[in-house]
Amino acid sequence: MPETNPQGEVTRLLAEWSSGDQSALNKMMPLVYAELHRIARRAWSQNPHNNTLQPTALINEAYLKLANAENASFHDRCHFYAVACKAMRQILVNHAKSRLSGKRGLGLANISLDDIQPAVHQEAAEIVALHEALEALHAIDSRKSMVVEARYFGGLSVEETAEAMGVSVATVNRDWRLARSWLIRQMNRESS
Amino acid sequence: MNPPAPWEEIERLYHEALELPVGERGTLLAHASPALREEVESLLEADSKDGLLAAPPTHVVADLLDGQPSELAPGQRVADYEVESLISIGGMGEVYLAHDREGRPVALKILRRHLTVSAQAVDRFETEARAASALCHPNIVTVYESGESPTGLFIAMEWVDGATFRAIMNAGRVEIAQAMDWGGQAARALSAAHTAGILHRDMKPENIMLRKDGVVKILDFGLARDGGAVGPEPSSMGASGTISGTLSGTLLYMPPEILRGETATSASDVFSLGAFLYELTAGQHPFAGETLLDVFEAIECRPVEAIGSLRNGVPQEVDRLILRMLDRRPGGRPSAREVCDVLGGVGGPQKA
Repeated sequence: MPETNPQGEVTRLLAEWSSGDQSALNKMMPLVYAELHRIARRAWSQNPHNNTLQPTALINEAYLKLANAENASFHDRCHFYAVACKAMRQILVNHAKSRLSGKRGLGLANISLDDIQPAVHQEAAEIVALHEALEALHAIDSRKSMVVEARYFGGLSVEETAEAMGVSVATVNRDWRLARSWLIRQMNRESS
Repeated sequence: MNPPAPWEEIERLYHEALELPVGERGTLLAHASPALREEVESLLEADSKDGLLAAPPTHVVADLLDGQPSELAPGQRVADYEVESLISIGGMGEVYLAHDREGRPVALKILRRHLTVSAQAVDRFETEARAASALCHPNIVTVYESGESPTGLFIAMEWVDGATFRAIMNAGRVEIAQAMDWGGQAARALSAAHTAGILHRDMKPENIMLRKDGVVKILDFGLARDGGAVGPEPSSMGASGTISGTLSGTLLYMPPEILRGETATSASDVFSLGAFLYELTAGQHPFAGETLLDVFEAIECRPVEAIGSLRNGVPQEVDRLILRMLDRRPGGRPSAREVCDVLGGVGGPQKA
C-alpha cells in the first residue's frame, strides 16, 4: 500500500511544504512522531547500555528512514529537521508529564526505599516548566522559541540549527542567548 | 504605569549591553526609558545565571528510550509476582505492592534497565539483594527472592504494613519511652548486621519503618558492600549540575569520615543511627541547616546540644549515649551492641 507508506508520505509532504503548503507540516508531524518513538524503542532494545543516544541521533535516523534522502533537496532536509525537533519536544514533554503524574497521586507511601525524587523527575519538572515558558516566548518571538526547540529538544548544534532554520550562525547564537535569559526570567516568575 | 517597551528595542539594548564590560552597562542603560531599562536589566541578570538549558535532557531521553510505560500496570506479572500498585519511585528503582502465587502481599522492588544508567546502580541493587538475604532478623526486612525478569532486576521482599519514620516524625513529636523502644529495635537490627559483617551505610528515617504492630523494620541495604568507599553517585547530580535531594537527604545522616571520603566502618552506621535517634528523641535534627554547606559545617564542627537542653524527661545515660554515637571520631563511638544494651536497660521489655 504505497499510499500509507510513511516514507513516501513524508517525501510527498516535504515537497508540498517546499511549494508553500504550510499545512503539510502538521500532516507530517504524527508520522515523524511515530517514527521517532519507534527508533527510540528499537535503539534501546538493541543496546540497553548505550548512554550516548541523543535526540539528534534519533532525528538523523528518522530522516534517513522517512525521507527519500537521495532525492530530497537541501530545503526538504531543513524542513524535516524543523518538524522532527517539534516532534521530539512533544515526545519529551509528554513523557515528562507522564513521569510526573506517576509521582503524583501516590498518596501516603507506606513503604519507602527512597522517597526522594531522582534526577529523572527533577529533569522532567524542568522540561514541563520550560515547555510552558517556551509557549509564552513563542507568542512574542516565534523564531527564538524555535531556536530553543531545535537546540534543547532536538539536540541540534548551533550550525545545524542555523541550517535547519535558514538563518546565520550569529543569529542563532544571539537568539539563543536572549531566549535563554528570557526563559530563566519567565520560569523564575512562574515559580515565585 | 509606563508603556511597555517594544521587543525590538529590548533585544537591541540587551545585545549592546552584553558587549560592554559589566561595569559600563549602567551608563548605557541610563539613557533608556524606565520600562526598557527594567526589562533589559532583569534579562541581563538572568543571563548571569547558569544551569538551565546547559545540557540536553539526557535523563528523560534515557527514560523514554525504555519504550515501556512509565509504571507497571496493575495485574502485570514480574517473575512469579503480580503487581497491584506503585508505592514509590526512588533513585534506586520502583517499589510496588504485589502478590505472590499464594496471594500474599510482597514489596517488589524493580530496577528497570533504562534507569540502569551506571553499572554501579546494578551493582548496588545486586549487593542489596545479596546482603539483605544473608540477614535473618525480626527487625530487618526479609528478602524472599531476587533475580532478573524481562522487566528488569527485581527483589521480592516482606511487605511492611506501616509507615516510615520520616512520616512518623513529620506527624509530630514521639513519646520518649516509645523512642527508646523503637531505637532499641533499630539498634538490635544493626548489631545483628554488624555481627554478620554487613554494613548498612544508609541509615536514615526513610529506610526505617514501623509496622502497625509496633515492630521496627530496617530496609534498603542498598549501599551495603564489603569494603570500598561510598561517595555521592553521579545520578545524584541534577540536569543542571546542582545537587539534588537524593544526596542532600542522605547527607544529614552521613558521618564526617564519609564526607571526607574515607571508608565506612560499623562506627559509621552507629553515627547515622545516632543522628536518627537524636532527631526522634529531641524532635529536631542535630545537624539541621539552611544550605548544604551549613549541614557540612554542622557535621564537621558544630557542637551538638545535649537533648536534655531541648526536652525534659530524657534519661541522662541515653542523652550521653546518643552524644557518644555522634562523636566525630569513629573510635569514640559505642558499638551497636552497646547501644542495644543501654537502650534495653532504660526501655521496657524487649520485643522481638
